[in-house]
Amino acid sequence: MRLEKCWFCSSTIYPGHGIQFVRNDAKIFRFCRSKCHKNFKMKRNPRKVKWTKAYRRLHGKDMTQDSTFEFERKRNRPQRYDRINTEKVLQAIPKISKVKATRQKDHITKRLSVGRVNRRTEDRRELEQSISLVKAPSVLKEDATLTLPKQKVTVSYAQTENTPMEE
Amino acid sequence: MVKYNFKEIKVVPSGKELVDIILSRTQRQTPTVVHKGSRTKIIREFYMHKVKFTGENFKKKLSDIIDEFPRLEAINPFYSDLLHVLYNKDHFKLALAQVNKARNRISNIATDYIRLLKYGDSLYRCKCLKIAALGRMCTVIKGIGPSLAYLEHVRQHMARLPSIDPNMRTILICGCPNVGKSSFMNKITRADVEEQPYAFTTKSLFVGHTDYNCLRYQVIDTPGILDRPFEDRNIIEMCSITALAHLRSAVLFFLDVSGSCGYSIAQQAALFHSIKSLFLNKPLMIVCNKIDLQPMHALSEEDKRLVDEMKAEAQKTLSIGGDQNGEQQVLFTMSTLTNEGVSTAKNTACERILGHRVELKMKSKKINDCLNRFHVAMPKTRDAKERPVCIPPQVLEQRAKAQEGEQEKEKRKLEKDLENENGGAGVYSASLKKHYILASDEWKDDIIPEIIDGHNVADFMDHDILERVMELEREEGMRLAGVAGDESEINGDDMMPEEREALNAIRKRKKALIQEHRIKKSTAESRPVVPRKFDKDRQFTTQRMGRQLSGLGLDPSKAIERARSRSVSRIGRKRERSVAVDGFGDDSMEIDNEGKGSYKKLRLRSVSRSRSRSRASIEEVVPGKGFKDKKQKVKAIKLGKKSVKKRNKDARKGEADRVILNMMPKHLFSGKRGIGKTSRR
Repeated sequence: MRLEKCWFCSSTIYPGHGIQFVRNDAKIFRFCRSKCHKNFKMKRNPRKVKWTKAYRRLHGKDMTQDSTFEFERKRNRPQRYDRINTEKVLQAIPKISKVKATRQKDHITKRLSVGRVNRRTEDRRELEQSISLVKAPSVLKEDATLTLPKQKVTVSYAQTENTPMEE
Repeated sequence: MVKYNFKEIKVVPSGKELVDIILSRTQRQTPTVVHKGSRTKIIREFYMHKVKFTGENFKKKLSDIIDEFPRLEAINPFYSDLLHVLYNKDHFKLALAQVNKARNRISNIATDYIRLLKYGDSLYRCKCLKIAALGRMCTVIKGIGPSLAYLEHVRQHMARLPSIDPNMRTILICGCPNVGKSSFMNKITRADVEEQPYAFTTKSLFVGHTDYNCLRYQVIDTPGILDRPFEDRNIIEMCSITALAHLRSAVLFFLDVSGSCGYSIAQQAALFHSIKSLFLNKPLMIVCNKIDLQPMHALSEEDKRLVDEMKAEAQKTLSIGGDQNGEQQVLFTMSTLTNEGVSTAKNTACERILGHRVELKMKSKKINDCLNRFHVAMPKTRDAKERPVCIPPQVLEQRAKAQEGEQEKEKRKLEKDLENENGGAGVYSASLKKHYILASDEWKDDIIPEIIDGHNVADFMDHDILERVMELEREEGMRLAGVAGDESEINGDDMMPEEREALNAIRKRKKALIQEHRIKKSTAESRPVVPRKFDKDRQFTTQRMGRQLSGLGLDPSKAIERARSRSVSRIGRKRERSVAVDGFGDDSMEIDNEGKGSYKKLRLRSVSRSRSRSRASIEEVVPGKGFKDKKQKVKAIKLGKKSVKKRNKDARKGEADRVILNMMPKHLFSGKRGIGKTSRR
């Protein structure tokens, strides 16, 4: 039992899902669902279809090169079962996936942080330029901070007796 | 070729059938229509064609018949004799001769009439000639009708003859009726010959095949022979005689020692001696059957003597080479009922016939040609090295063991035995993991994990995976420390919440402006440009202005005052007393004038307020504005209002909609559609 990767979108194909297509040159194409299958039949290039992993990797949206990828490699030679090794591997796999996940997340964050910085500078500039829309210049002269002007509220309250404070 | 495959002879049609066939063929395959008016040549040709066609067909059919049947001279004498015995050679030949004669006659008729037709002058004459020709041919065929019937009969019988190959190794079984020949036949071959207790069950020859030493042998079962003079024999007996006479085979003469066949041993011996001339040059064996009923040692002296006589005869036929165990080779005792001695008899018979044939071949001239071609090649010795036979030690052990303890055959316990022990096929399922070769035997029953968390375990298999993982985690730790530093840098530059508020307010304001502008732009063509003072929607109120100004952080009171003092309601009012001009109540004025934006003046005397802070009503006619009187102004105002009134597009039922005069207007509820169904109205 093996979990395969969908040829089009690169998601894992669990048992009982999807379709395999064997071409005349004996190349096998596996698809996770009919969406990918139909896209393939339309001869679409997954590298140009935005939602596939192939596109994302090609355009640098997702992490491409990392040492965590080397842990998972398909070996074609059968190996004799070894309980000790298998236990070790089962312990190692969650750790590896965790590291991989954090690294991927960081990659995306780094990618998006540039936009954040840009947005921040833009906001600041906008604030500085257009503050006159909400704050009169004379008020700005007095109070140079780029915030909304303080509102003067007239409060009318009735004369109250000095009631002794309740203890 | 009539290679003893009489089954392939074509069916011989009867006279009538033959006539029908040919005539209908003529009718179908020759042109059928000819006109009186066509040229004579055409008419003649038409009829000549018909006559010729018929003649040819008859000739062909009859020739076929003649050719298909075997020529008795040309086939194996065994078959020719057999056919003679069965069908009488002369009769057979006569029938075929008749057919031949008929054929010739028909061809003569055909040629004659064609010659006559050449001179036929009218259609009628030609037609008559044709009719005559065909009629005569048919009469000829009618004449040979009985012959054809006979030939058909013969053909059917021939087809059912057993396919005996005269050149194959053969074993012939003969003897008195009811001695057990057919039962022996059934025992050694797959032939299913009828065995019954009455005599003459077998009425013709039967063939079976048996194997010995990878060679095929023919076994021929014959009907029983009676001791009669040659001329008195009937057809059935003659069959067996023929077979005996012609087939070069081993002969097994069956003897019933119990006498249950109805013939005593003496009678059988008499028969034997009468036909022993037929046994010349054939390996002969005497087979004493039915010894379960009468054992050999219990025979009477006379019988024994007779048997010995026969044995002596048989021994004469022993080939020159075969003189081992003379007794074994000639006399056999067996019982087909108990299967005793059956196989020995068969084996010996096979061996003897084979030996006999080989001898003959060796003596004949042909063998010399073959012998020259035989050559047994022996490989030349390359060197003087001895190369003895090599037997693996395990085999030697096994042999030694087999010799010592023959009963101790060590049977390995098979999986099947294990299964049977533990409850059979449905209950016990064999453990496939039993013979796994693993580092430790405890692991044999382990369930090997294949998938975990969406990964294949096999892809990660590595002997030093844990070390690598530790290294990876170390690296990760270092990396995370570095990342934390970067993050703090980025996050430091954030805006304060108040600034964020201001920014939001700015954006909102901008959006509002844009929206207003868009509305203005889109309605610019249809919007009336009205000066601000005719502000119907009350947009430009001092309250609003006050709100906006205070929103910007400014104090609106002075602006409001100013706006109000300049408003329309003040038009026509005298200028209010300003402090400096009048000079009344200086002190009080001055005091009040300190407050900057205060336009409220303290009066020394009260003045009646005719219209404080109120505007003139709209209908009030103000001179100088263009209306002559109030009525006109009112009308003008009304008109103005009506023109700007927005049309009610709510599609709600209005005054005009209360009554539907026609609930079912005809044009909506009748009429066919030009295209489509009218199932909805």
